[in-house]
Amino acid sequence: MSDKESGGASAKHPDLTEDTKPDTGEDPVPEVALPNDFSQCPRTDLVILISRMLSFLIRINDSIPKDNSSELTRFHSRVPPQISVYDYLMRLTRYSSLEPAVLIASVYYIDLLSAMYTAFSLNSLTVHRFLLTATTVGSKGLCDSFCTNSHYAKVGGVQCSELHVLESEFLKRVNYRILPRDDNILNCKAERREGLFVTATYAKENRGPNNGFNVLDTYYQKIIEIVGSYDSSPDKTKRAHYVMKTPPAPREAEAPKKKRAHEESESAGSQASSSCKKPA
Amino acid sequence: MASSSQFKQLEKLGNGTYATVYKGLNKTTGIYVALKEVKLDSEEGTPSTAVREISLMKELKHENIVRLYDVIHTENKLTLVFEFMDNDLKKYMDSRIVGNTPYGFEMSLVKYFEWQLLQGVAFCHENRILHRDLKPQNLLINNKGQLKLGDFGLARAFGIPVNTFSSEVVTLWYRAPDVLMGSRTYSTSIDIWSCGCILAEMITGRPLFPGTNDEEQLKLIFETMGTPTERTWPGVSTLPKYNPRLPQHLPKDLGALLQSQTREKMELTLIDLLYGLLQLNPDRRLSAKQALNHPWFAEYYQ
Repeated sequence: MSDKESGGASAKHPDLTEDTKPDTGEDPVPEVALPNDFSQCPRTDLVILISRMLSFLIRINDSIPKDNSSELTRFHSRVPPQISVYDYLMRLTRYSSLEPAVLIASVYYIDLLSAMYTAFSLNSLTVHRFLLTATTVGSKGLCDSFCTNSHYAKVGGVQCSELHVLESEFLKRVNYRILPRDDNILNCKAERREGLFVTATYAKENRGPNNGFNVLDTYYQKIIEIVGSYDSSPDKTKRAHYVMKTPPAPREAEAPKKKRAHEESESAGSQASSSCKKPA
Repeated sequence: MASSSQFKQLEKLGNGTYATVYKGLNKTTGIYVALKEVKLDSEEGTPSTAVREISLMKELKHENIVRLYDVIHTENKLTLVFEFMDNDLKKYMDSRIVGNTPYGFEMSLVKYFEWQLLQGVAFCHENRILHRDLKPQNLLINNKGQLKLGDFGLARAFGIPVNTFSSEVVTLWYRAPDVLMGSRTYSTSIDIWSCGCILAEMITGRPLFPGTNDEEQLKLIFETMGTPTERTWPGVSTLPKYNPRLPQHLPKDLGALLQSQTREKMELTLIDLLYGLLQLNPDRRLSAKQALNHPWFAEYYQ
């Protein structure tokens, strides 16, 4: 696929199938084993998992009472859009040819944006605009094949000029730090604290394996851990329990370096805005 | 973050791939900067080249990589504030053409520039970043003889498994044979080939493989380096654009070829390094770290 080729409806998507059946509540829930490497994971399953994750977070964040002073962000809709999270994410994935890495990066971007922008939390009013923005930024920043904003906007159902504003807002809020690395959120926060565009106290030497780029693997594992079970989330799109083909090694066995990533994601956001933390 | 009123815009320095670059003066500090103005497109929004350049260069603080100081947002444009550099390697080489005859650099300068180029590239690779557009125009130099990598608009991170890798990268003359044959699994070796081409060009003052299209580019490379076979490069015949009917050339003596275009005596270690950087098979090319440890650079690390 060439750069900027509009990954439109004509593209073939062998891994995007919708064999979702309603829950009759009779048969045992089937188990689906997913590959350890997220880039090999069928995107339908990834979309289902991510929708479960987001629905799980939205239920928590929607239940937190808001006082009248709570700030509206550019990501807010006036009323919750009619289309479900799953249908919306599936639509973006199909018509904008989103890659697995971009889908997982979007979950990482919830933590990133929440950590840098306290007025933002993922809820039923913000989820749609957030997903459209996160997948646009992820595709343009991380992949060689991406579309124009006018294409993404059309698929996402917003005006192109609005997507430009959302994209710019996102990039500014996270200080253009969109590379998913272990120390990224720490560096973002350092820049905020120091009032600098590029931090002077850059935490690079504490990066884990692959120069800190294993953060998406960690997210993939944690998403499966948290919402792999069919019972874990309000999203009931597919009656399946997801597990990893070979379960990852237990946490204790990991190198001490990795600890940082966990500490970071735990400190990332208040309430349940930190997506990869199991709220009590 | 800075505001545009902090800088005085001076003369235009050039048109980049997606932007216009001006010299600027930071009025508070009195320091010169390069201001790269990126227009926000009505279709594209923030160009992906700008998103990449900013997000990647924020990670790259190194004396052989141009520093990105800041980004200024205004209504319909973005301005990237970079460290100011006096010149680029292309213009500097062009300034040495006498009449119609290009002249390479003194060997000590060739060595100093190549050393700095490889230091910058090694730092990118250590940070899991591929530059993907190394060429003399993108290597900036200053009056102190420092060389720095610039223009990261085509760069990308390579630690994130994404399925789409474009083969439309690197300006033709500096593009590796595996990429020319459509490989999408390239990695750091893509930048090393360019470093080899640039090294030869600094020696002679002439581009090593100045092709005009993909096919001619491969032909020029194979005429000098020899046509690869399954024996010399296992897997070559499986590349998407591999042509089994290519004329079979034997490798030429690269040292003699370059020596005929320069007056200075080329050391054997230099020729050995050139062969290490210009291996057709990407798996056999030196890494930037290995190249820096090559005996030709012995005087720098002793």
